[in-house]
Amino acid sequence: MGKWSRRAFIGAGVAAGGALVVGVAVRQGNPIDKLSPLLTNGENEQLLNAWVKVDTDNIVTAVIPHVEMGQGVYTALAQMLADEMDADWNKVRILEAPADMQYVSDSIARDFLAPDLQVPAWFEPTVAGGILELAQAMGLQFTGGSYSVRATGQRAMRTAGAAAREMLVAAAASEWQVPASEIATADSMISHAKSGKSEPFAKFALAAAEQSLPAKPKLKSPENYKIMGQPMARHDIPAKVDGSAVFGIDADVPGMKYAAVKAPPVIGATVESMDASTAKTMPGVLQILNMGDFVAVVADGYWQAQQALNSINAQYSKTEADDLDLDAIFARYATSLDEAGEDGGDMQTEAGDVAKSFAGAATKVEAEYKVPFLAHATMEPMNCTAWVRDGKCDVWSGHQAPVNARQTAADAAGLAFEDVTYHNAYLGGGFGRRSTSDYITMATRIASATGYPVKMIWSREEDTAQDHYRPSATSRFRGGLDKDGKAVSWNNIHTHLFDPADAPTIPYYNIASHKIRKVDVPMHLRFGPWRSVDHSQHGFFIESFVDEMADAAGKDGYAFRQELLAESPRHLKVLDTAARMSGWGSALPEKHGRGIAFVPSFGSIVAQVAEVDMSGAKPKVTKVFVAADPGFVINPDGFTAQMESAIVYGLTAALYGEITIKGGSVQQSNFHDYPMLRIDEMPEVEVILINGDHERLGGGGEPGLPPIAPAVTNAIFAATGTRIRELPLSKHSFA
Amino acid sequence: MIKLNVNGQAKEVDADPATPILWVVRENLNMPGTKFGCGIAQCGACTIHLDGQPVRSCSTPISAAEGKSVTTIEGIAGEDGTLHKVQQAWIEAQVPQCGYCQSGQIMSATALLEKNPRPTDAQIDEAMAGNVCRCGMYGRIRTAIKAAAGIEQPAKVEA
Amino acid sequence: MTTVRKLACLSVFLLAACGADPAPGPVEQIIVREPGAAPAVTLATADANADDPASALLAEGKAAFANCSACHSLEKGAPNGAGPNLFGIVGAAAAAVPGFSYSDALKGSGITWTAAELDSFIANPAAKVPGTTMVAGAIADPAKRQAVTAYIESVTAN
Repeated sequence: MGKWSRRAFIGAGVAAGGALVVGVAVRQGNPIDKLSPLLTNGENEQLLNAWVKVDTDNIVTAVIPHVEMGQGVYTALAQMLADEMDADWNKVRILEAPADMQYVSDSIARDFLAPDLQVPAWFEPTVAGGILELAQAMGLQFTGGSYSVRATGQRAMRTAGAAAREMLVAAAASEWQVPASEIATADSMISHAKSGKSEPFAKFALAAAEQSLPAKPKLKSPENYKIMGQPMARHDIPAKVDGSAVFGIDADVPGMKYAAVKAPPVIGATVESMDASTAKTMPGVLQILNMGDFVAVVADGYWQAQQALNSINAQYSKTEADDLDLDAIFARYATSLDEAGEDGGDMQTEAGDVAKSFAGAATKVEAEYKVPFLAHATMEPMNCTAWVRDGKCDVWSGHQAPVNARQTAADAAGLAFEDVTYHNAYLGGGFGRRSTSDYITMATRIASATGYPVKMIWSREEDTAQDHYRPSATSRFRGGLDKDGKAVSWNNIHTHLFDPADAPTIPYYNIASHKIRKVDVPMHLRFGPWRSVDHSQHGFFIESFVDEMADAAGKDGYAFRQELLAESPRHLKVLDTAARMSGWGSALPEKHGRGIAFVPSFGSIVAQVAEVDMSGAKPKVTKVFVAADPGFVINPDGFTAQMESAIVYGLTAALYGEITIKGGSVQQSNFHDYPMLRIDEMPEVEVILINGDHERLGGGGEPGLPPIAPAVTNAIFAATGTRIRELPLSKHSFA
Repeated sequence: MIKLNVNGQAKEVDADPATPILWVVRENLNMPGTKFGCGIAQCGACTIHLDGQPVRSCSTPISAAEGKSVTTIEGIAGEDGTLHKVQQAWIEAQVPQCGYCQSGQIMSATALLEKNPRPTDAQIDEAMAGNVCRCGMYGRIRTAIKAAAGIEQPAKVEA
Repeated sequence: MTTVRKLACLSVFLLAACGADPAPGPVEQIIVREPGAAPAVTLATADANADDPASALLAEGKAAFANCSACHSLEKGAPNGAGPNLFGIVGAAAAAVPGFSYSDALKGSGITWTAAELDSFIANPAAKVPGTTMVAGAIADPAKRQAVTAYIESVTAN
């Protein structure tokens, strides 16, 4: 087994399939003392392990190490745990894990750091233990990457549920003096048919905690699922219809004051001076702070703080970006791509001899595509409440990585991790924006200066102008077709984006020779993950170019993709399903068009067909047909909602989304100049879900997004013959 | 002191008359269900009713509420706690995702149905286009409004 | 009793390498007053004697215009906001307020803003002028629209 450090041992509480997950067993010698007070309400509750607790009224509480931002993760993960445990769904409660290192998600770290790691089973514990250490170092208790269900759920929640069940059964077997194999569990009850005995889980909770952890709890196979695969109602919804759901912005701390902030319009500049002569005299104002990298006004109320802030005239330092405009940024991209030439840049993937296959191609296709910077525009603007006093710090906010937020606050306050308590609330939209911690740092610094609790709220203008943007990008393609119109050569070079590395690759398309490279272009703006991350750009690039190749081959986009996917039956089924749903090939009214796009991402395979009506002054997307295969769908209604949601997020960007830069500053400020899709533009969305591989689950929050932009632009091409190579569509005139 | 009626209760608030109702409700009256989204009446997250009319409370000064009735998301359920039929329809259709815009969506929808018990699709668009949902739940919002109005809808296609 | 603390100006903001050093504190900290202390400045008194509009209609219009005022000023010479200044709008040609960046749609609309035209535009801007940047602020209630239009007109007349 190797030598275990104490911490690694703690991390190795529950094992399944040779892969370790983070879980803490309630056994002598395990440091549950620290966790118990955080999770339990009193002596009547027992922690079976850190993922689940059973209390005396037989309520099973699933402890979820992820945050709820509308993706339904609380419910889906609880379904996975409850099903394996044979718990009564009506008696399952949900609790978000406290921001503690013992909840860092080993399974996520593992997928980020070593997704293709193949090692012998006996070696797994040490590998996983090592990864756990890394995860802790990285402060990952992270929600993003569409990872929650497929990583934490599949590896940890199910295992924890199964382990808890086996421990309860072992405890009952011991007390009843019967073989464990004769004991059955269902609806949070344990029963023994021969003796007619039947008791609730709670009866054995204490004794179960004394059992040794099963080495490999047996997981159910899909035919035995009772809760997984069902459209269970989301646990968080009732509180979201009566105003009682608490978001970060709703933090209520006695004695709390309010701060409004403004950072220099050019990111990277500093505040050289401020004229606060008017602000000082304004009602409610308590303090005016030049924090060096931003100005803050603290007042009795937020509106008073914002009004006073608006009156401050600040001078900012000069930066190298002061003369930078958007055109110059795209010119830089072009220069970098030109300089990379045929062999420069960083190779991402290569097969065959692209130069040769292109030279020998019967038909050659070339195209360049551009996509803009995008803001996240979460409905809840960035905000954070902090209270720093007596060597301690409390922070209230909504963040996608609570452990990271806690460490960030500790760093900002100059305190140890242990001296910071981080209170996470519902997130009024995450989409990747709340995985960065700038707003946590700012609030903690303000609160350090005041000494009393302060709630910092960004105006919408600040939220728009100081985002960590989705990068803009330029991508160039050269493709070759043989005399039969079959794709034989694929050569792509694009400006460097973010993550994940597989976004520009097309392993599912059978094109013998391909070469994909990237070039780095330095930029003063800050970037962050934006729903579906690089797939949002590459989905558009790749699926537009595939359509252009199809057109050059004289084939329709669906038939051309069918050929490319001929050897991947699981992928092909998804494509075929979307096409069939849409009535592909059937007649449409004049000036209407259909477009298809296919993008596997985050472990899920998604195809979409969009229908557009081009009879008006701007494109109107009337229908979207979605086929998705995430392996196995834990909650069909929740997954469907994620598809609908991702389509709107992606369609909003495709139609309108564009952050522009002038003089180094972002020009957009609010929803009047960074418009959102509204209800009157909502297409009908029809979704069919396919369970293609129950052992390899894919994500749900992001994979619905990448296909929508190319499905729409391909539909526009079908309707009008105009090929869109640059987003957003609002840049183009269709009159 | 500004006197107004909030969710059926008489209130007096000590606030600058120019303060938007939103911040008075959230900070002075400690009712945080009404949300701040944009501050310029573009997103609808702050929608409340002023004498029954939906208004964007981020851009309506408290002086405009003097002597009037303000209704917020906290005030639309029955006195016994029974949810408003719109709230019930919202749960039934599983509308909210992040949930941040939903107070405003529900306030716009209740005002619509109050005035127009059987709205057409176009009337729903008109009444609800001022409310942004960044999670994109517009299809479910439409479904829920129609359900609350008792309008028959085609069954959803099941996978 | 305003306190001003001038602190050493940091030209470079280094991130704390470990938990021991806090992130940079304020370069300048103006403490106007402590929480709970009496306000150091007198609150601006409310304009209690605001002109009473002559009729209930105008009063209603004035109250309803509060929702419009987020984007539109109605004060002569005041700058444009997210929407153009509406002083004198009744009787004017569409897209004619100086300094405001209008949509092509409105520029090409050929509308003259009579009360009736304003009324139908406010009822549903996007339907009246597809492509307008006025995406919010529609007023569905005809009586309320009439009140707002009357109020806008009355301000110009004064």
